[in-house]
Amino acid sequence: MKARVLPKSEVLALLDLLRAQGYEVLAPFCGRGRDTYFDTVTDQNRDQVQIHLPNPYYPPKRFVFPHIERLMKAERSHGDLRIEPIYDAPKRAIFGIRSCDVAGIYHLDRFFLGREFSDIYYQKRRRNLLLINLVCTDPERDIGKECFCMCADTGPAARDHFDLQLMDLGDEFMAVAGTSAGEVLLANPVFRKGTDEHVARRRTILEDLRTHFQSILTSWFSAAVRYVSQGKVSEKTWEEIGQRCLECGGCTYVCPACTCFTVTDRQVGAGQVERVRMWDSCALGGFTRMAGGFNPRRAVHDRRNRRFFRKLSHYFIQRELSMACVGCGRCAAVCHGDIGMPTVVEMIRRATAQAEAR
Amino acid sequence: MSAATQNVYLPKPAVLERVVAEIPEVKTFYWHFEDDREQQEFHKFRPGQFAQISLFGVGEFPASLPSSPGEEETFFTIRKVGTCTQALDELQPGQKFAVRGPYGNGFPMEDYYGRNLVFVAGGIGMIPLRSCIVYALQHRKYYDRIQIFYGAKAPRELMYMPNLREWEHSAGVECYLTVDRPDASWTGNVGVVGSLFSKPGVSVAVDNSTVFVCGPPVMFRFVIRDLLAMGCEEKNIVSTLERYMKCGVGKCGHCCIGVAYVCVDGPVFTYQQIKKLGEEI
Repeated sequence: MKARVLPKSEVLALLDLLRAQGYEVLAPFCGRGRDTYFDTVTDQNRDQVQIHLPNPYYPPKRFVFPHIERLMKAERSHGDLRIEPIYDAPKRAIFGIRSCDVAGIYHLDRFFLGREFSDIYYQKRRRNLLLINLVCTDPERDIGKECFCMCADTGPAARDHFDLQLMDLGDEFMAVAGTSAGEVLLANPVFRKGTDEHVARRRTILEDLRTHFQSILTSWFSAAVRYVSQGKVSEKTWEEIGQRCLECGGCTYVCPACTCFTVTDRQVGAGQVERVRMWDSCALGGFTRMAGGFNPRRAVHDRRNRRFFRKLSHYFIQRELSMACVGCGRCAAVCHGDIGMPTVVEMIRRATAQAEAR
Repeated sequence: MSAATQNVYLPKPAVLERVVAEIPEVKTFYWHFEDDREQQEFHKFRPGQFAQISLFGVGEFPASLPSSPGEEETFFTIRKVGTCTQALDELQPGQKFAVRGPYGNGFPMEDYYGRNLVFVAGGIGMIPLRSCIVYALQHRKYYDRIQIFYGAKAPRELMYMPNLREWEHSAGVECYLTVDRPDASWTGNVGVVGSLFSKPGVSVAVDNSTVFVCGPPVMFRFVIRDLLAMGCEEKNIVSTLERYMKCGVGKCGHCCIGVAYVCVDGPVFTYQQIKKLGEEI
């Protein structure tokens, strides 16, 4: 590893450098209380950018897969129909994206760009996106009680899929490039040469971090994957999980790896229609409803089953060569019924192991 | 990431040619793409595939392709059941809408060479099967016996009447029709489609056969039960599943059942596969 360091006093210089290169720089900010969010860095707010803070609930996936995205415009005039695609792919850099969310974007890459059909909207946005990953090192502010990236093997320090990774060593950041774009950035004089001592300190901090994760339930992840893949989870267990679902869809909207969307048309002028896609949720009753009212997935536990099956079954992990759960813990934090991924993994593990023992 | 990624969501303008009423609430819409090249490209579709139809301002919906690639004209047969199909119904010949596709796996008709083909359809389940039947008759020498069992609620609910008459009278096909509620003019069989199987003079080809089953859920369940009882193997029963795909290309998630995305892994599945998916048909 070629060790480079960024003095803390130079963080704003890095942001300015990126902005000068034409990037819209997105960085984390603190709102009131637990509320944190990613926003565009401007001259006015640049000194309020946060390094250590709870990961925003609204995941940065929206910068490649927006909540609402315009796909095309159709215009009708004099009996003619003209359809034009709408592409909007600004050059963007996300500063301070957490390791779990880097893994989330990698999952989206596998999903939207892999397989038979490639998604051009995602592709265009993704090509213009630079990821500057920040390792969660502050046990108080960075690591929440729901975090389980250690179990999902995505953090606290991502091993790949970022362009540049920064890790707080105290007085400076250790900087590592993950791509050629990151290498180019590292060549800038704001980065200094690192020493063996920096590398050693990085290792010590990472080893210490392991002791700060509270969520131990998900150490049964692999057991849950096995039980779900083998179809050993009983209908009763799914029903118990389903009974606790309030069908709000919150888990899917905060998930950095959920990909479902719906498509709808909206009138934007005389004879002009815009087709947009927006995030959709398998938790909602209408998700699978067809014209005429037939809904093959009626019961709420069918739908909960679907979400966890999609994320935990070996079939889909193999299909995308990545898992649709990255251990960010957001679903656990927002779920009113306490059926976030860690709880569900534990419910599946306990019920199925007990049934097997009988 | 390949440089020349196509926009798979972008439909192409199509012109409605004419509309033919089939049965109550169901019409056949003949259409072609505005662009000839588009039309030629589209025409390479396989029986059992589907397309996404766009009525801008209302929405987009998936529909089976009832025509066969060997037929000159392309058309959809659509039941007026929701807002999009209502908008299509209101379209006048000459007016434009948009289409993209074809999507899905389709029936592997070449894999069935040398086999008997048995078609069992109920109601508008005939729409996707029509494509296979016409295809099979155009490639008649590759198949052994061809049997068609088709049931509808009433005589006026039998679809593709000119085709049915032709199949009934052509030498290479055994075509049996039935209705639940006959009218005064009906002289054929009365009963559900499964009642045809045990009719005197009918011998359902079970050995070395591929059986196509399409129809409403109730009919599907009973026909499958009868077929299995007659000794049909689950892997030799094929059907096409319906889901409201928003994208048709394996991304939107709406048609995901079990481990399958109906739009890319289907819509054609064997009964053996359907059983494992674990959702209502």
